[in-house]
Amino acid sequence: MSAPVVVSDVTKVFNTGRPDAVTALSQVDLTVAAGEFVSLIGPSGCGKSTLLRLVADLTAPTSGTVTVDGLPAPQARAEHRYGIAFQQAGLFGWRTVRRNVELPMQLRRMPSADRRARAEELLDLVGLADFAGHYPAQLSGGMQQRVAIARALAVQPPLLLMDEPFGALDEMTRERLQDELLRLCADTTVIFVTHSITEAVYLSDRVVVMSPRPGRITAEIPVSLGVRHEVTRQSDTFFEYVTKVRRALRGAPVADAP
Amino acid sequence: MKARVATVVGSFLLTVGVWEGYKAVGNPDGTVVFGTRLLPRADDLAMPHVWTMVGRLFDPDVAGGPPVWRAVASAVLVTLGEVAVGFALGAVVGVLLAVAMQRLRVIERGLLPYVIVSQTVPLVALAPVIAGWGGALSIGPYPWQPWMSVAVVASYLAFFPIAVGVLRGLHSPTEIEVDLMRSYSASWWRTLLTLRFPAARPYLWTALKLAAAAAVVGAVVGEISTGTRGGVGRLLIEYSRSATSDPAKVYTAMFGVAALGLLVTALVAGGERLATPAVLRGDRS
Repeated sequence: MSAPVVVSDVTKVFNTGRPDAVTALSQVDLTVAAGEFVSLIGPSGCGKSTLLRLVADLTAPTSGTVTVDGLPAPQARAEHRYGIAFQQAGLFGWRTVRRNVELPMQLRRMPSADRRARAEELLDLVGLADFAGHYPAQLSGGMQQRVAIARALAVQPPLLLMDEPFGALDEMTRERLQDELLRLCADTTVIFVTHSITEAVYLSDRVVVMSPRPGRITAEIPVSLGVRHEVTRQSDTFFEYVTKVRRALRGAPVADAP
Repeated sequence: MKARVATVVGSFLLTVGVWEGYKAVGNPDGTVVFGTRLLPRADDLAMPHVWTMVGRLFDPDVAGGPPVWRAVASAVLVTLGEVAVGFALGAVVGVLLAVAMQRLRVIERGLLPYVIVSQTVPLVALAPVIAGWGGALSIGPYPWQPWMSVAVVASYLAFFPIAVGVLRGLHSPTEIEVDLMRSYSASWWRTLLTLRFPAARPYLWTALKLAAAAAVVGAVVGEISTGTRGGVGRLLIEYSRSATSDPAKVYTAMFGVAALGLLVTALVAGGERLATPAVLRGDRS
């Protein structure tokens, strides 16, 4: 079986051939294994969101190739091989919560009884079963983001792409949603963009550290913390990984980490 | 609800109060400064009392005939028909233009200036031209009717707010919402139906209200400038001929136009209420 995501030698230049040309990514290679949870972390402008958008085929690489599930990225998108969630929930305000979750299934022309059942199952999973008939404006930010995750998982994609999905939430909600996400995505391959070091370490099997101008991958730090729970956040190993990622972000060689 | 009723009644009383108040204190010959009349005449010929104008509605049109309000009401109904057709035509044309402009930037860039210029053409100049063209046309076996010219003039004013408003609405989805539809590899058409049209709905309703009012103006001006009979615009001209002997009469036709405008906007507002779930009212999304 081919790896869920293979990015090879990808360069992305915006405004090519113009005086304001910007190299967002330079010769990036990244392979994500099945079931792996990979975080992309780095300062603003390091191209982490661009890299995610390339995998999603929301933008095309200037050079290099991106394959998802063994398919070229555009074909993977056409075949709905991934689910995606953004920093803003991006729910449609005129649709109820349930109909928002149904959206991707509706676009895949799933029979309405099936998609209704699936939407209710998913809302139950994210703890929002009682809010199916509400409109997004009636929900808190954290609840909206839960709906967005349910929507991203609706068609059971093998790959989940998340672009700072918890970036706009308060710390408490954030930690609760992190645990929920791990529970929901135990078997799903995930690429997760974040600028929070603790979030990256807590969630990931591997943290990919990027640096700007031009955007490139500077370090990859495998994380093995076993099954995550409340105690994990206070453990010494957790803090060691946090320090390791922080040093990598500052540009110190990873090997120097304790 | 109580507050709204109070506002409506209050603003009505205020209007009557300002009218009668000026009549009481204003110079009957108007106030002229250096040969320019700054304030209008306040005599009974220029500004009849409110009760005279309202009373005129219930007096017969010609001696022994039905009261004036019947003539005004039936003329308003004729104009309402023209407004309805013009409004519908304008809405269809406006939405189609907006969709075409959203679809292709080139069309937006090329068309939008003409859409805007179209509204600067004086209607009084345009209406006879439309009537002239119409006279040479027939729709299948049905010859062109004068009221159709009036409806076209009404639609000419009505399409504009709809084209501009709906275009804004179609552009209103956020980048994230558009990206989401792309991630589902939804076609332009599917995106239009599931994202852009629903997102444009609040803009559409606002545009429809403006268009309804514009259609009334268009129909009244259209009737006057094409000389089409039967409607309230024409009635306005007919009644103003007796302005010296019967100054209150022309105001009865104006009441008719005002009532028509209120009726049409109320119909659109009612449609919006019916079509919008309670929790979404007064909300962008």
